[in-house]
Amino acid sequence: MTASSAKQTISLDEWERKMRKVPIAKSDLNQLIMNYLIIEGYKDAAEKFSEESGLTSSVDLGSIEERMQIRFAVQNGDIRSAIERVNDLNPDILDTDPRLYFHLQQQQLIELIRQGKSEEALEFAQDELAPHGEEHPELLRELERTMALLAFEVTGESPLAELLDFEHRQKTANELNAALLAAHSQPREPKLPALLQLLAWTQDQLDEKVSYPRINNIVSAVLEEEGKDTSASTPRP
Amino acid sequence: MVMATTQQQPVQQIQQLQSTNPVEVYSALRTIKNAIIGSNAKKTLYYQLQIIPHVSSLLALDDTDVQIRVQATTIVSSLAHKGEDVAQQLVDGGVMEALIGQVMPGTDAALMEASERALNALLGYKATRMGAEEHTHTMVPYLLSIITEAKESPRMFEMRMHARVELAVLILEKLCVTEARQFTVANTGAMDLLAPLLQRGYPRLQVATLRAFAALSYENMEISRALATVAHDGRMFPQLVAELARHSDADVRLHACLCLANLSRMRALGDARAVLTVAVPALAKLLRGSDVPRLQVIEALGYLCHEDAEIQMAAKNAGAVSDLVAILAEIESQDGADFVDHARNVQETRAVFLALGTIVSAGEECRMRAVESHAMAHLVRALGHSDDGVKAAACLCTQYIVRSVPICRTHVPESGLLRPLLALVRSSATSVQEKATAALINLLPDFSPLRADALKEGVVDVLAQLVESEHVTIRRNALWGLRNLLVGTDDDTRRQIIEHVGIARLSTLAQTGDKAVREQAAGVLQNVTAENEVGAQAVFDALGAPQVVKLLQTLLASEDSAVTVHALYLANNIAVRERSLCELIVGDRGLLQTIVDYARSPVSEAAIGALWCINSIASHRADGDSDSSEPRFLAQLEAQNVQSVLETLLGDPGLCLGVRDRVKSCLDYFSSPAI
Repeated sequence: MTASSAKQTISLDEWERKMRKVPIAKSDLNQLIMNYLIIEGYKDAAEKFSEESGLTSSVDLGSIEERMQIRFAVQNGDIRSAIERVNDLNPDILDTDPRLYFHLQQQQLIELIRQGKSEEALEFAQDELAPHGEEHPELLRELERTMALLAFEVTGESPLAELLDFEHRQKTANELNAALLAAHSQPREPKLPALLQLLAWTQDQLDEKVSYPRINNIVSAVLEEEGKDTSASTPRP
Repeated sequence: MVMATTQQQPVQQIQQLQSTNPVEVYSALRTIKNAIIGSNAKKTLYYQLQIIPHVSSLLALDDTDVQIRVQATTIVSSLAHKGEDVAQQLVDGGVMEALIGQVMPGTDAALMEASERALNALLGYKATRMGAEEHTHTMVPYLLSIITEAKESPRMFEMRMHARVELAVLILEKLCVTEARQFTVANTGAMDLLAPLLQRGYPRLQVATLRAFAALSYENMEISRALATVAHDGRMFPQLVAELARHSDADVRLHACLCLANLSRMRALGDARAVLTVAVPALAKLLRGSDVPRLQVIEALGYLCHEDAEIQMAAKNAGAVSDLVAILAEIESQDGADFVDHARNVQETRAVFLALGTIVSAGEECRMRAVESHAMAHLVRALGHSDDGVKAAACLCTQYIVRSVPICRTHVPESGLLRPLLALVRSSATSVQEKATAALINLLPDFSPLRADALKEGVVDVLAQLVESEHVTIRRNALWGLRNLLVGTDDDTRRQIIEHVGIARLSTLAQTGDKAVREQAAGVLQNVTAENEVGAQAVFDALGAPQVVKLLQTLLASEDSAVTVHALYLANNIAVRERSLCELIVGDRGLLQTIVDYARSPVSEAAIGALWCINSIASHRADGDSDSSEPRFLAQLEAQNVQSVLETLLGDPGLCLGVRDRVKSCLDYFSSPAI
């Protein structure tokens, strides 16, 4: 007997029946949405949602604007402006997180290299990054990689290419955003993605044991029975 | 040139601070602020350019604009992060008074927040905390008012509010640096005010609160016991903290464990289960993770396990011993590697050995686990480390591991421990020598296979020299080592010790100076004269009979029971040998009286020592060695009513077994038909 033939099968009707028994409070749903809007920085949406749902947020929604401006500054490569804004908002953050400070300075260096300002980049690395690296030797490897951008012409195949990629700005922006959230005791990441990851993981675990209607598309969230035509599937409640 | 311009800019900015134009001053401050935040190099640069007097004077002036104050205060806060020296200079420059003035009610909110941050940063060092005495009575009520105000506000959960409360609690924590200040804070009702914060769902605030409780209760039995009775929401404080030791946030778990460690150390926890089943496993798990600074976890574990065999076993069972040794292996594998924080590795190595030493200090099983985890190789390597702190910590750990007789007999001989240890004993920093000599003591007893090797390596000469050390602990340890060497040793070693140290010197050390040294010196004299007549004769030859009697009288008059016990056995060792030597003791009525009086001592060790001595005196027979002849010194013993004393002792139902046995043995000498 094969493993799959030994699996229990749960029909769509039975599955939906079991799901209907699981209580989900509207207030919890609203909290999740608000949490997502705040952490991702959708200030206007958060304000409107707060108004319409009657949900009071513990977060000063005005601070979202400040955080988003900082994030946009990094995403636009204006690191100096981002640093000044962070220092105005909470000067302790960069003084107490040497890794974050280094990554911001590293991004600044990358921006100078991207703009072709090699001499200024070299001076910046010597004045700003090298002393920091001396105090935190574990960061020197990253500094070395970044300095290699000055020494070598970087093509798409180069392992250093990712540093010049705009995704690196996004990575730095995300790190800074997370630090700003943590400084105000907010979670670093929204809960919704984690719940979706949990859904995917749980379904993978269940796949080994049971045949059941699974969600294959998290956007549509339609339950699809294994091996069945999904055209008449019940839409999500 | 670019380089010259870069250097000129900071100088110009400093000069601009003296401008009469507030816009220029503000601009310069803001530029400096953004330069120094995050950068120690820039902090150093501006510090050298004398930024401190400039910001201090700006803050001291009454008419300084609020926006300028905010920037200047933020600069103070950032500079304070540089280190203790800079923070102290800021305090010496008078910024504390200005900052405290800036947190009073009615102040601009942004300035208040900046000032609170600056105070928190300034008080981040022991020196500045200790120096904040005069400000404590102003700051404490203010800080508590922030917490009270937040608690009573319907907007308590707002981000800015609890961020401010977090700062207030952190400052409060930093003020609790002396016992007096702990009581000052505790007596304001702070514990009841802080307890509800433990249940706020904000990890940073919970961590700050746990830190405050840890600071309040640190090494303070009274406060720890009071804290154990604090309740919130129907749950007692230890229970609340035990729950937090299972929190999803690693920082919360760590600080909860620290709180429990404090209460445990002060014996304030009625039930040790919270420590054994929650704190120990939590710390062991944190040790394996990377969510919190590993150094803090190692130190917390060592602190928790101190002098508690049950907790040490729990730590061993949780895998802490093998994990600590694994950390040593990991650090050693990074030796000489690039991109590694070697300074942090040295700190961690030191902390690991201290924690490991604590865990293995009391129990055989813990020691065996350490040895099975290959700790010995790491210890031997660490004895040759370049850092004195690591060497001293490794010596401490060695001292505790080799307390085990089986380990001493089996694993130590093949470990290669002796030579590096002796090298440290011979020549190293005082702090290292103290620990190295303490470790050596445990390798010199008669059961130790390393004793013979140590003697060949010249350990007698080394210890004899260290007896003259100017450091009390080293002198004491050297004497202790010699004392151990004398047990079960041959006459050559005995004579070597007598020759190198000198009986006269031992006599002086036993009678004068530090208590611990006197005790060990008396112990050496006891052991020198034990086992055969070589030592006893050497004592009489060196001092002469009157001085020996005087020595015994002086030692027996000591208030230190350890010294008197050694003296009684010294007297016994003399009395049991040649009759001529025994006569010198018996011939002094006062001395004999003292010995007999000790037979009635409530200290059983002293009583047993005295009874042995009486036994030895009575063992000398009047007519040669005939057992039927009466004791040679019967008259002297009768003059002291020895038999009556012994019979009275025997009639005491509360007499301990060891003393009772000795009394019976002594009485045998008085029950012969001749009497």
